[in-house]
Amino acid sequence: MNFVYGAYSVIWLIIFGYMVILGRRQNKLKKEIEFLKQLDR
Amino acid sequence: MIRSALLIAKKDLYSELKTKQVLATMIIFAGLVILVFSFAFDPANNTTKAVIPGVIWVIIVFSGILGLNRSFISEQRNDTMQGLMIAPLDASSIFLGKFLANFSMILVVELVSLPFLFLLFDFKMYGGFGYLILVLVIGSFGFISIGTFLAALAANSKSSEMLLPLLLFPVTSPILIGAVQATKIILTNIEKLSSAMAWIQLISAYDVIFFVLCFILIDYVLEV
Amino acid sequence: MSANLEREKAALLAGQSAAEKASLVPKILFGTTVVSILASIYFIFIFSSIEKTMGVVQKIFYYHVASAWCAFLAFFVTFIFSILFLAKRKRIFDTYAYVSAEIGVVFTTIVLTTGPIWAKSSWNTWWAWEPRLTTTLILWFIYMAYIMIRQMDGVWDKKARLASVFGIIGFIDVPIVFFAIRWWQSKFHPIVFGNGPSQKGGGIEPNMLVALLVSITALTLLYSYLLQKGVTLENMRIKVTQYKEKLREDLEN
Repeated sequence: MNFVYGAYSVIWLIIFGYMVILGRRQNKLKKEIEFLKQLDR
Repeated sequence: MIRSALLIAKKDLYSELKTKQVLATMIIFAGLVILVFSFAFDPANNTTKAVIPGVIWVIIVFSGILGLNRSFISEQRNDTMQGLMIAPLDASSIFLGKFLANFSMILVVELVSLPFLFLLFDFKMYGGFGYLILVLVIGSFGFISIGTFLAALAANSKSSEMLLPLLLFPVTSPILIGAVQATKIILTNIEKLSSAMAWIQLISAYDVIFFVLCFILIDYVLEV
Repeated sequence: MSANLEREKAALLAGQSAAEKASLVPKILFGTTVVSILASIYFIFIFSSIEKTMGVVQKIFYYHVASAWCAFLAFFVTFIFSILFLAKRKRIFDTYAYVSAEIGVVFTTIVLTTGPIWAKSSWNTWWAWEPRLTTTLILWFIYMAYIMIRQMDGVWDKKARLASVFGIIGFIDVPIVFFAIRWWQSKFHPIVFGNGPSQKGGGIEPNMLVALLVSITALTLLYSYLLQKGVTLENMRIKVTQYKEKLREDLEN
């Protein structure tokens, strides 16, 4: 039974890990866009 | 097209014969791999004989990578790559020519290093010599054809020596599996020849599929 | 500022607001993904019966197989878009191919981690050289190589072209790898464990089949959501890079 918990936690860890990576990329992009907007002013 | 391919093959082989640098490096490297294996596995032990088929193909793979790297890196000096692409040649002739040159080189390496391997490991061949040659030729054919193709691809990167093994090993794993199995059967129990032939058929199918594929796709790789 | 730059900036800002406004599709995808995942958990743990021989551990199989299916789908999509890119040379095709390959690697990692966990629990061995698992391992390496090509130095169209070629070769290689390994295994290591972890066992009960289908649907929806999100992100990144290039050019003049 422990194995089942282990397996599913690994699965969700990987999926959420990937979404965190995506989120970080998105934040970095947002910061760059803000910076470029600032440059404009 | 065949003629221009032969021309390119001749050019590569002649420039190689002048310095014999790459060929010598490949052969010495093969010798060193054999040496390392004799440290890793005890040559006196009888069970080591089981490892010999694998060792043969590891030698071919690693020496092959050396040669393949060179075949396109040398074109980057003086930008001869551009010259080749602009010349009124098909990209496929370039591929064929380079393939023929690389193939002949790996055959020479095999010719020299395999007897050395058998010598060092005191391996007695129980007949089936012709079949061994067959497996070596067909396996090397597939490996070098996809190798030449991926070397052309990887040459576009600055870290091409690192990229080529990364690309080559996963894609050629069927060849390696089939070749090692077939070599094992031929070298140790030759009665199971039918299964060895089946493996050889697998490798041949792979060779045909990928040779045609590389032929078609090389245009996209060697685009200006 | 030059007129060119003005246009680029307008395009950038328009793209950003479009990405924020036209968020109906991502919202739908996200919603259905969450719903189906919750449904799949219900089906797996409550609805489907416990398998006779392996016990509760067999439940891992649902997400393991569903992930494998999704990984394969992702790589098939990469294959199709690679061909499309080589034919039409539109950047969006390459973007879809790349994002799909990345998601494919994520799903393949899931398969490669749940596989050994299942193997350990069922046969007390971390790895089994059985066809599906080994092919998945080689698949992982092939698509890591694809991503490495994409991260090469150089202009985007060269990278995209080379990666597309490799995407085609990699995908065609996979069935051959599978058959080679299956043969390798059957000849010398007959599957002593009855049916290997990938095969569904003698007969799959209908409620298990339903759970499996629900899991596959859930993960496929997750894949679509991640694909859409990834492509939007990549498009924005491309626009930002182009804008910065134009800005640099402008500053130099």
